[in-house]
Order: sequence, then C-alpha cells, then structure tokens
Amino acid sequence: MELQLALALPVHNSVQGFDLNDGDIESKEPVASRLWSYGGSLESKKCLKNKRSSEEAFGKMGGGVPQISPLMVWSGQPNEEDDRKGQNRKTSSIVNKNEVEENHVVGWPPIKSWMKKQLHQQQQHLGGRVKNDGVAERSGGRNSLYVKVKMEGVAIARKIDLRLFHSYQALTNTLISMFDKEQKFDKNGVCYTLTYQDKEGDWLLAGDVPWQTFIESVQRLGILRNGG
Amino acid sequence: MKMMMGSSFPEEVLEHVFSFIERDKDRNAISTVCQSWYEIERWSRRRVFVGNCYAVSPAILIKRFPDVRCLELKGKPHFADFNLVPEGWGAYVAPWIAAASSAYPWLEEIRLKRMVISDDTLELISKSFKNFKVLVLSSCEGFSTEGLAAIAANCRNLRELDLRESEVEDLNQSSGHWLSHFPDNYTSLVSLNIACLNSEVNFTALERLVGRCPNLRNLRLNRAVPLDKLAILLRRAPQLVELGTGEASDLRPDVFSNLLGAFSGCKELKSLSGFWEVAPGYLPGVYPICPRLTSLNLSYATTIQSSDLIKLVSQCQNLQKLWVLDYIEDLGLEVLAASCKDLRELRVFPSEPYGVEPNVLLTEQGLVSVSEGCPKLHSVLYFCRQMSNDALRTIARNRPNMTRFRLCIIEPRTPDYRTLQSLDGGFGAIVEHCKDLRRLSLSGLLTDRVFEYIGTYGKKLEMLSVAFAGDSDLGLHHVLSGCENLRKLEIRDCPFGDKALLANAAKLETMRSLWMSSCSVSFGACKLLGQKMPMLNVEVIDERGPPDSRPESCPVEKLYVYRTVSGPRFDMPGFVWTKDEDSALGLS
Repeated sequence: MELQLALALPVHNSVQGFDLNDGDIESKEPVASRLWSYGGSLESKKCLKNKRSSEEAFGKMGGGVPQISPLMVWSGQPNEEDDRKGQNRKTSSIVNKNEVEENHVVGWPPIKSWMKKQLHQQQQHLGGRVKNDGVAERSGGRNSLYVKVKMEGVAIARKIDLRLFHSYQALTNTLISMFDKEQKFDKNGVCYTLTYQDKEGDWLLAGDVPWQTFIESVQRLGILRNGG
Repeated sequence: MKMMMGSSFPEEVLEHVFSFIERDKDRNAISTVCQSWYEIERWSRRRVFVGNCYAVSPAILIKRFPDVRCLELKGKPHFADFNLVPEGWGAYVAPWIAAASSAYPWLEEIRLKRMVISDDTLELISKSFKNFKVLVLSSCEGFSTEGLAAIAANCRNLRELDLRESEVEDLNQSSGHWLSHFPDNYTSLVSLNIACLNSEVNFTALERLVGRCPNLRNLRLNRAVPLDKLAILLRRAPQLVELGTGEASDLRPDVFSNLLGAFSGCKELKSLSGFWEVAPGYLPGVYPICPRLTSLNLSYATTIQSSDLIKLVSQCQNLQKLWVLDYIEDLGLEVLAASCKDLRELRVFPSEPYGVEPNVLLTEQGLVSVSEGCPKLHSVLYFCRQMSNDALRTIARNRPNMTRFRLCIIEPRTPDYRTLQSLDGGFGAIVEHCKDLRRLSLSGLLTDRVFEYIGTYGKKLEMLSVAFAGDSDLGLHHVLSGCENLRKLEIRDCPFGDKALLANAAKLETMRSLWMSSCSVSFGACKLLGQKMPMLNVEVIDERGPPDSRPESCPVEKLYVYRTVSGPRFDMPGFVWTKDEDSALGLS
C-alpha cells in the first residue's frame, strides 16, 4: 500500500519530498511518515530495533561517515506485512533445466560454472564412476569400477574402485581400514559380513562366487553387523 | 603548504616522487590535493583499474589519464560465475579496446575479468600496441583459438598469456595449432596458462615454445597434455616456478620413473595444480618437491581420495595455499593443521555438490582443526553440509586475523545441527572477532539478527554475499546503514524489499554495485530509485518480459544497481530495463 502511494505521488510533490541536497531529515519527515507510517499497534511491537526512530537509525551514520541522505526515511519498521502474510517469503528461484542441476536452485551451491564443467566432464569421462544413485557403471571402458559401500550404522556411504583389488581378502582389508575411523571392527565380539547387490538387484553374501564373477556382477557393497 | 609544494618543486621531481606510489587509493588521494598535483598525477598514471566497465566510459578514462600502460577492467557481476546473469547481458570489451588502440599506443597490459571479447578484438590488440606484454583473460568468453593465434603471431614482446577460467571456443580440428603461431625467434614468454582449453594442443609447437623461452616461470597446461609428455617439458624448462599438469589416468611404471626424475630436476618449483584424473600411484612422483611447495591446487583431482591426499599434504610443510576437494575429509584437514604451519589460504570444494547424502566425512570439525593449527590462516572458502555456532565461535576466536571468510553449507537454511538454532551467533562471532574481515559469504539458517551483527561489527567489510537469509527489510537495512566500507553486496533469495533499498538509496552511490535476485524488490521501487539517484544505473533484469506488464508491486527477478559517471549504457539487451524509458513515460 505504501509503495502505491509513493509512486502515485505527482512528480513535483515527490521532488520536493526527495530533495536529496537537503540533509535535514526532519524536513522530510512529513512526507516520509505519510508514505511509510504504520498503525499504532505495530509501533508498539516489542522488538527494540523496531522502536528506533529514524533519527536514531541514521544518527550512527552522522558520526565519522559522510552524511548519506536517504531516498525514503527509514521508519524503523521491517516490512511487517510480508512477515505476517508470509507471501514474499516464498522465493521465486527458477529451476534449471540442466541435467546436473535438475531439481536444484540455479546457481546454488555457488560453484563456478567452469569448475562444475570440470567435475561433470570428469565424471562423464571416467564412465566407471558411481552415478548418483549409487549403482556401479561400467560403460566408458576406463580402468576403474567404482561402487558405493554402505556400512550398517555409519551415516556416510563410501566409494571404492574395485579394479584396484584382486581378491576378497585385499578388499576386506581395505574396507576395514576405511571404516575403522568411525567404527571399531570386531569390537566386543561384534563382527561384520560383506554383502553385495548383483545385477538383478539381489543382495548376496560376498565370497561365494569366484572374484572375477563377483567383479562382473557387483553393483553395490554392504557391510552388515552380526549381533555380538 | 600549497605554496611550498606548488612552487618549490619542479614538476619532474613531483612526478618522480609519485612514481613510487602504486596503490590506486593513494594515487586517488594525491590527485585531490591541489590542481597541480591532480595534473601531474593524471599525466603520470600508468596503471588503471576499472572495477565495473559501465561505471565510466573509455572517453572519460582517456581524457583523465592520457598515458596509461596497464588497463584492468571488470565486467559482469560476480554472480555471473554461478549462471545468474543471463547470456548476452553485456560487458563487451570492444569499445574499450577500440578507444585504447588510438589513445594508448604504448599500452602494455590488458587484464579483463568476466568480459566478452571477440577474436576481432584480440586481433586488434595484437596489432595496435607496439610493446604489448601481458594479456590476462579471467572468466572471459566470446573468443576462440583463432584470436589467440593472432596474439601469438603478432605480439613479439608478449610475456604473459593467462586464460584463467575463460571459455574458449574451438572452431575446428586444427584449433590446437594456434601455439605454432608464435614466431621461431619469439623467446620472451614468462607465463602461459591454457588450463581452460578443451582442445588438444599441438605438442610439438608447445615443446618448442617451452624450449626456447628461457624466462618461462609459470606453465599451466590443459588436461589434454598427458602426463607422459610432461616429463619432456619439465626437462626443457627446469626453471619453472609454477606448474599445472595435464591428465594422468593410467599408471605406467616407465612414465612414473621418468616423471620422478624430471620433477626432481625442477629446483624452483613452488606451485602445483592440475592433476586431472591422476592415478593415485603417480603422486609419489611429486613427493621430492613437496617440501618446497607453497601452493597446491588439487580442486580438479577427482580421483585422489583421503588417504592419498593425507600422504601428499603431510609432506608439504611450507604450504601457504591449498585448494582441494572435500575428499580430504576431516582427518586430512587435521593432518594439514598439524603439518602446514604456514598455511594462509584454504579452499575446500564439494566433489558432489548435488548429491543428496554426504559422500565424504567432511564436517565443521575439519575447519576448526585448521583454524587451531594454522596461525597464519586468513582466507577461507569452505563447502560442507553441517555447521554449529560453537564451531564458528571457536574459529572466530582462533583466527581473529581472518580477512576472507566464505562458508557454504550446501543445503540452504541449514540450522546449527546440534541445537537446531539459527547460525546468527556463530557468524556474529566471526564479524565481531575478525576485525579486518573484508569479504564474507553467509549460508545456513540466518535471521535479521546476523545482519545486525554485521552492521555493528563489519566496519571493514568490503564484499558481502548473502543467500536464503533474513526475515525482513530490517536485515538489509542493518547492512547498508552499518557497513561503512561496503563496496559490493550480492543477495539472492532473501525477503529484502523496497523499504530498506529506498531508505538507503544514497548509500548505493558510495558502493560499486548491488545485486539482488529473487528478493522482494518491486519494479516500482526500482523505477523510483533510478529516477531519484541520477548517478546510479538501476538495471532490472527480467526474462519474463516487460516488468510494467505486471503489477508494480510484483517483485522483479533480478536487480543490478551500480554507480556510474557515464550515464546509461548503450548495449542493453531486451531483457534489461532501466529508468530511461520509464522516466520518459513518467515525467512527460
């Protein structure tokens, strides 16, 4: 409402109201209060800041800093109406069509498009890296096979390149040291079982098939906790 | 005072004295002393920095400073880095180069950031300035390797060609041949950064170029240069100080030993970057030079995981600057804190910024460790997924010397994960304790209160980035009325609107620019601001069509306000709206 009022002002009137060469805030007060006044009920809001008069609000700028005259005098009230109705709180960010950023706000998180391209390119280039859904990807013919490893009771899933290993034993050793940081293995008689999800989506015990067969079908790894 | 200065010193003496004064700020101060100082200063100014290419026109610049040798220009707003500025917005450098080509025949350096430069303009540069030495294109676009070929062919005294993070088009298959345009008798290259190029480079031409330039110090290659070729280049240029490697995926023992030998021959090397897709097995190849390294950029090394990073970092005990992906994890940062006591700058980037769940164990703890262990740390950019007020308070107490603090908690409006409170108090502690803070980026759950802290304590703050924060106009008002030294303010997705903007309109004239997107500023307020503040260009960027086709109270998509002495710009695209059309409507 205030805004409409402000813009509807005849030109000569607003020029008088907004004479910026006039440093005296008082002289602008009538115009300002006409434009920006709120009901008395709002004036009595508890928030201390809200109670500050315009002189107080701008008094700080008077000392040391060159006096900056406002285009409109700050009445000390936030835009309460937005707050109450909550209409403008909803932000109007557009959703990008870019695949990588699908369902994400444009430009957030703030990563330079150049760097984003590098990360993206790299992931495409690698081919063998885990896609976001955590399923191993073998296309691309690169010498790596990344799968996600989830350990029961540990929030963060890890990625591991299975091409670096040639036996269950080596894999298990690495997994132990990888998760060791967060969870002690074999502590209090608790032991863990390595499982994997195959191409059909079934979860199986690792170690039952030859290593090479395992490598060809594994999609994810899981480490289960066997009660102690 | 004036008489003494004015009459007792000949102009030449003053000019000589002025030549020792380099900072723009000091030179500006000198020029305001008296008429004769103003005159001497303007004739002797060799270096000019224009922070916004629309804040002044080439004609005004040339009139004031007739003999400039180094010109640095910035174009698009910073948020252009994150795709928030629509394509075709502007920042074309052509008019500047056209004007400079006739006014400054002795121009030696051009440094551009976020500007659009065409191949024709690059060619004009290469032919206009007799003694041209330095071309830095940082996050620029609009040109191809053909323009670079013109630079290579014609700039006989070129010392530095730095393409930073520019977008360079590859027009054809032979685009890598631009390097072969450097003449055979050309030997003056000191610095070459082509890391951003996508195309293959002509390796023979590169090798010959590197071999015949004895002063080459900095060489940043693109990923297309494989690691097995790097050894050849290193043997040709053992004097290198900064090196950016290419790609290195498959580990081959012969390549490794070759490289190890080449690296140990580089006695001056202090800075390393690149390592695209490097096989972790190659890293021991650089171990011998680690103790010498002061700068390490591993932000493209997507294949090095925590344990390998730890081994590497723990050997770089003189490191001052580290850019790294979050694969380093809390544990790696702990090692960094224990090993690198000279660290000044740390940037940790997310390896999976769009992943929903964390893929690494990187929390607030990593940053706390570094703040504890590295007493010289003063510049931080940190992406993470959780933060607490306690951690921020600890960091603030540990590092009151912080000058740049940018924290990005990836999920917008994330509260303190332990108390579920806002992070107002934590960021408040940062601004309160870090008295010299010049740059700050906020994230997480924040109310107007944090802006009150910033306005109260952030007296030296020059640049502030805000996203998804605040409750009302009061937040913006605190910042604009409190931060005396604020030059750049960029805001997105905050409920800040007309009132705070209009109440602090005159403050905007003291700043370089204000960006607001997805906020609550109405078109009506933008019009009013533009009409009442003639020194400001108020640009509404709205791709939905003319803003006056919607109610005036309807929030605009994006607002970019900057001060200018050259009036409205002439190259506005259709989606930018300013006061001009409207004032004609409103005042007639």
